[in-house]
Amino acid sequence: MADSIIEIEQLTKVFYTDEIETHALSGVHMQIKRGEYVAMSGPSGCGKSTLLSIIGLLDTPTAGRYQLNGKEVANLDFADRSRIRNQEIGFIFQSFNLIGDLSVAENVELPLTYRAGMPAAERKARVQESLERVNMAHRMRHYPAQLSGGQQQRVAVARALAGSPSILLADEPTGNLDSKNGEAVMKLLKELHDEGATICMVTHDPRFAAHAERQIHLFDGKVVAEGELSQLMAEA
Amino acid sequence: MNGLIQDVKFALRQLRKAPGFTITAILTLALGIGANAAIFTLVHAVLLKNLPVVDPKMLVRVGDNDECCINGGAAYKNDYTLFSYDLYTHLRDQIPEFEQLAAMQAGIGYGSLTTRRSNDSSLPKSLRSEMVSGNYFQVFGLTPYAGRLLTPADDVAGAPPGVVMSYQTWQRDYGLDPTVVGSTFLLNTNPVTVVGITPPGFYGDRMTDTPPDFYIPMAMEPQLGPAHPTTILHRSDRSWIYLIGRIKPGTELPSLQAKMGGVLRGFLAQLPTFQRKGMEQNLAQSHVVLVPAGAGIENMQQNTGKGLRLLFIVSALVLLIACANIANLVLVRGMARRAETSIRMALGAQRRRLIRQMLTESVLLSCLGGLAGLVVAYGGTRVLLNMAFPDATDLPIQATPSTVVLAFAFGLSLLTGLIFGIAPAWVTSHSEPAEALRGSNRTTQDRSGWLQRSLVILQAALSLVLLVGAGLMAKSLSNLEGQNFGVKTENRFVAHFSPENAAYKQNQLQSLYDRITQDLHALPGVERVSLSMYTPLEGNNWSEGVQFQGRAEPKVGDEMGASWLRASPEFFDIVGHHVLRGRGITEQDTATSTPIAVVNEAFVKKFFSNGKDPIGAHFGVSGMQSVGDFEIVGVVSDVKYNNVREHTRAMYFRPLLQMAHTKPEDDTRSMYASAIMLQTKGSIDDLESQVRRTLANIDPNLTVSRYDTFQGQIRGQFNQERLIARLTLMFGALALVLASVGLYGVTAYSVARRTPEIGVRMALGANRGSVIAMVLREALMQAGIGLAIGVPVTWICTRFVQSQLYGVAGHDLVVLGGAVLILAGAAFAAGLIPAQRAASTDPVQALRME
Repeated sequence: MADSIIEIEQLTKVFYTDEIETHALSGVHMQIKRGEYVAMSGPSGCGKSTLLSIIGLLDTPTAGRYQLNGKEVANLDFADRSRIRNQEIGFIFQSFNLIGDLSVAENVELPLTYRAGMPAAERKARVQESLERVNMAHRMRHYPAQLSGGQQQRVAVARALAGSPSILLADEPTGNLDSKNGEAVMKLLKELHDEGATICMVTHDPRFAAHAERQIHLFDGKVVAEGELSQLMAEA
Repeated sequence: MNGLIQDVKFALRQLRKAPGFTITAILTLALGIGANAAIFTLVHAVLLKNLPVVDPKMLVRVGDNDECCINGGAAYKNDYTLFSYDLYTHLRDQIPEFEQLAAMQAGIGYGSLTTRRSNDSSLPKSLRSEMVSGNYFQVFGLTPYAGRLLTPADDVAGAPPGVVMSYQTWQRDYGLDPTVVGSTFLLNTNPVTVVGITPPGFYGDRMTDTPPDFYIPMAMEPQLGPAHPTTILHRSDRSWIYLIGRIKPGTELPSLQAKMGGVLRGFLAQLPTFQRKGMEQNLAQSHVVLVPAGAGIENMQQNTGKGLRLLFIVSALVLLIACANIANLVLVRGMARRAETSIRMALGAQRRRLIRQMLTESVLLSCLGGLAGLVVAYGGTRVLLNMAFPDATDLPIQATPSTVVLAFAFGLSLLTGLIFGIAPAWVTSHSEPAEALRGSNRTTQDRSGWLQRSLVILQAALSLVLLVGAGLMAKSLSNLEGQNFGVKTENRFVAHFSPENAAYKQNQLQSLYDRITQDLHALPGVERVSLSMYTPLEGNNWSEGVQFQGRAEPKVGDEMGASWLRASPEFFDIVGHHVLRGRGITEQDTATSTPIAVVNEAFVKKFFSNGKDPIGAHFGVSGMQSVGDFEIVGVVSDVKYNNVREHTRAMYFRPLLQMAHTKPEDDTRSMYASAIMLQTKGSIDDLESQVRRTLANIDPNLTVSRYDTFQGQIRGQFNQERLIARLTLMFGALALVLASVGLYGVTAYSVARRTPEIGVRMALGANRGSVIAMVLREALMQAGIGLAIGVPVTWICTRFVQSQLYGVAGHDLVVLGGAVLILAGAAFAAGLIPAQRAASTDPVQALRME
């Protein structure tokens, strides 16, 4: 049995707007083990992106516990969260979020430049390796605008891999892609998982959720169903 | 270092990608930084720069004011700045704390020499000289460029006459001809040897627009000096020398100052002036103030310092407005790049790293602006120098940026980049990293709005300060130039010359003056010709204390001073004096007729306040024994001769060649006229060359040292005020444009951001007028808050310029109201364009954006 990378208990997130409280997450419990491939799904507004933000240390919970690699990270300050995010987490966004003014190689190198003390030669080597892993090394001097959507998302995956993170967080990674490119990206994630990567993916498309080993279903800020795909299907 | 290189590369790429923004920002910065660098060039050269001499820190000046040029009696407020030659040698010999104490002629402005190389067949020309003590160059630690410099052995009576030529003169007039050194020149017709050339950068002991061409030993004063033919070299009652010394290391200035005061009083006590009854207090209070003299004699610094500092502050404010403007542009760009910032943060970038990256871009931009600013500074400095010193010959200020100016521009560029970059960097770096997960259309709070509006408010407030300052300066200049000087300037011309320099003896003057008057009268179109000691508003003044017949002897401290000059009969008509009572000076007032004087209204007001008739009254200027010397025969209208900011001084006028019965030897020098005034029927082509030719035909040594229209001479009095007024107006206009552009930018950005909202409003029935009103209200609100802050700030700031103003109160409501209206109008115009654009929004299109 693999050890836990992420352990979340009684996590809540409340947004305050004027005098209105919005409970985006209400007492969420979840665990992701090393090497696991987890899909989070649920209808729009169920809190899956909020949960992913907190898991990715982009946001902080209102209450509850969150351990990443055995360390409590729920109440870290901004700088510590940035540092951990840079070293432990790789993001794959729905809209790729490549920086248009940077070349493919520079985009992939970007998180490494925020890592103090990494020599330029090592950065270059990692960029090369990551791009080769997603079959985009031949486009490293191109700019994002010169690539197709699928290619851009592969570059985004390479960027997420470059820092050798503990976990890949993918937010609707196929949301902006046609079905063919979407399938290609999902295949790539599957390959990465097969090579040992831990992945947590948000998706509302059951076809893509099916690629994961385990699914977590959210509704109204709560985990309403959790289990292996086959188990969930049987329960349904 | 790697990160910094990456940041620079990325910043360059960003700037290249947005050429419109980059060019606008660089041009704005170039104007702001360039204006500051140009003003700094002047500030540095005039106020901060040391003389180009060895170890200037060890130089000390004895005296701390700009008194000039030949004074008699006690010093003003008993504070000694001018010294007699004998007092100088006394101090030099009694004060061993000085390694060397040098003396230099105070008034070099009019120290012209008629100069010609002995083997040269061309006409003599008028050059400037300064008499100095023999150890002058030793005090400054200078070595000659060629030949040798003066030594104490040159400065003794009977020494072979040797002078030193300045490098600039050698280059300008003699093409660096090496045979000049050792050759004979005729200075005021006296043969002298040029013994050497000064080092190239040396411009004398003070910053001036007309540095000396020759340095002459003081011992030659009886032959060449301004007092020729009545020498003042050894007259202890004539003060005409400034002193600068090099102190020995470890000398304490306060104790040296006290010691010098004692030695000074010991010397003064021997003089007849201080042995008079009532002078005890003057003697006891007589003192000197020692001041650092690394920058030399700081007369120009004292005269222009306030104005330069004011301009420096004004240009800094303009740069601040430019910074606010660019900060707004950068902020808008930062907001547009917020998504990118969020991605960087999601990938683990620390805030300080993002701030560094954005500051790199700002500083790079400001450095590019600084580079362009150097071009503006070079051109601006040339214009400034031409405006500030229109008559300069060898001005020791270069328009080419010096190392110090380059360093200033670079430092200012860095500072500017930080100032306009820090706030946008801070705001942008506080984007939420979680935004990277959200779609681009998700509504997020725009944190930049308050900062943008604050920057516009700041610009409006500062612009008001500058506009009011510009208005006050312009009004002050208008009052100065438009005041009634009492003169007539139409078709009037002034030529300066020196019969003294042409070696005329006193008994030759009558025939010389007759010939000059007659020959100039004979020129076609010339109506009137006069000769006088000086003319109104040329910067010259002679004054004496007067005593009246039939009145008690004035007590020490009584204000009995009156300015005076000698003039020929047509002088009053040319200048514009009206004879109000009695008569003016006539052809019958000859050297042998009864000495008379004509006085002005201010003289009558000052000395005849009891209503007594001045006509027929007698007065003198050499003590009670002289009270019968001059009989007042007429009263003329007032004309301003001296400080244009002061009331007209009491003046009396005497015929050119009449001599006082008492102390006639003191009257000799004033018989040498130095100004010719001409009145013509209309404009005459090449009148100047005709005048020069006429004088040269009489005597080749009668050279014209200055020639101008009377109007031009008067305008020259306001060069500094004109410079300040024009620059503050220019800066005020620039500030207004920048503030308007800033307001336009913020309003346009706000409209663009609110397009969907405006679409909704219009879909719900808002008409175009209400949309225009909504947008304009916001723009005018910001301008209004800026004005509300600006008015009290302006009110406070104008206090500091009050001393620079003439005939206008710092709190001038007309100027303030005008500035407020101009700014409000500009704000309205700046808001109207985006408001109209907002009103033309197509609701369908706008809602699609949502």
